[in-house]
Amino acid sequence: MVQEGDYLAVFNSAHRVMKAESLLKSRGYSILLIPAPRQLMTDCGLALRISPDIRDEVMGVLNEAQLMPAFINRYVGGMYRNEEDLCGDQ
Amino acid sequence: METIDCRNLSCPEPVINVKKALQEHSEIRVLLDDGAPRENVTRFSRNRGCRVSEERDGAGWVLTISGSAGAAHSGPEAASQGSRVVLITSDRLGEGPEELGRLLMRNFVHTLLETAKLPARMLFMNSGVFLTCEGSDVLEALGKLHGMGVEVYSCGLCLDYFTIKDKLRVGATTNMLATAEYLLSAGSVIKL
Repeated sequence: MVQEGDYLAVFNSAHRVMKAESLLKSRGYSILLIPAPRQLMTDCGLALRISPDIRDEVMGVLNEAQLMPAFINRYVGGMYRNEEDLCGDQ
Repeated sequence: METIDCRNLSCPEPVINVKKALQEHSEIRVLLDDGAPRENVTRFSRNRGCRVSEERDGAGWVLTISGSAGAAHSGPEAASQGSRVVLITSDRLGEGPEELGRLLMRNFVHTLLETAKLPARMLFMNSGVFLTCEGSDVLEALGKLHGMGVEVYSCGLCLDYFTIKDKLRVGATTNMLATAEYLLSAGSVIKL
C-alpha cells in the first residue's frame, strides 16, 4: 500500500487520526488511512499515507487545525525513515 | 512443460491465467513482466503450496511453478475444497459506534495484505457490498488482493437493493446459489 517516496503521518490517537482524515478529505486531499506498519511503534496503530506532491500542503492544513501527527516517516529504499518527531500527538 | 505468456497483461489477468493453467498442468513456465505481475503470481502460487523458481529474462521474468494437484481433480469444487473464504456481511466490523466499526473493517481489509496466507475468496453481502463499490476506502487494498489471486464477489441482489450495481469497482457479482456453493464447499469460512 505504501509506494517509494510516500510519507506516513503516524498518530497515537484514533480520534485524532480520524479527525485529520475527515478534515483532509473535506479539503479534497487524496490521503489514505491505513494500519501503521509493524516497524513503526504506535499506540493506536494508524497512519495517514500522503503522496510526496501534497505533503507540505497537508502538513500545513494539519498544523493550522492543531492535528499534527506524532511523527512522520518517509518510505525510501524499502525502509521507513523518520522525518521529524513532532511531539504533536502525545 | 506448458509455457504461458503473461507479458503485457494488466492485473489481475496474469494470476487468472496462471490459476487456469495450474488446474490443467502440474508444472508450468510463465513469462511475466517485472513488478506487480511477477510479485502477484509468485505470491499466489506459493500461497497454494506450489514451488516457484524465478529467472531473469531480459526486462522480465520466467517463473517455473510446480507442485499443484494438476488436472485430475480440477474444477470449481476441487479448487474450493480446503479453501479459506471470508464472508463480509457489513461495511463495519462489530457492534458499537458506527465510526469505529467502519474503521475496524477498513483496518481488517488493509491488514489482510500483510498476512502470509490470503483467503481464496472474499464474499460481500448486505452493506458489505459498499466496500467493493465506488467511494469505498478499501478499493485500493481489495484491488491488490484481487490482483494476488483472491476472488472477490459481491451479491448482485444487494447491489441492486442499494442501487449501486453500476458502481462496482472490484471483482464480480454473484448470486445466492453460487454464494451457498462457495460456503458449503469451503474448508473454512470466516464471517465478519
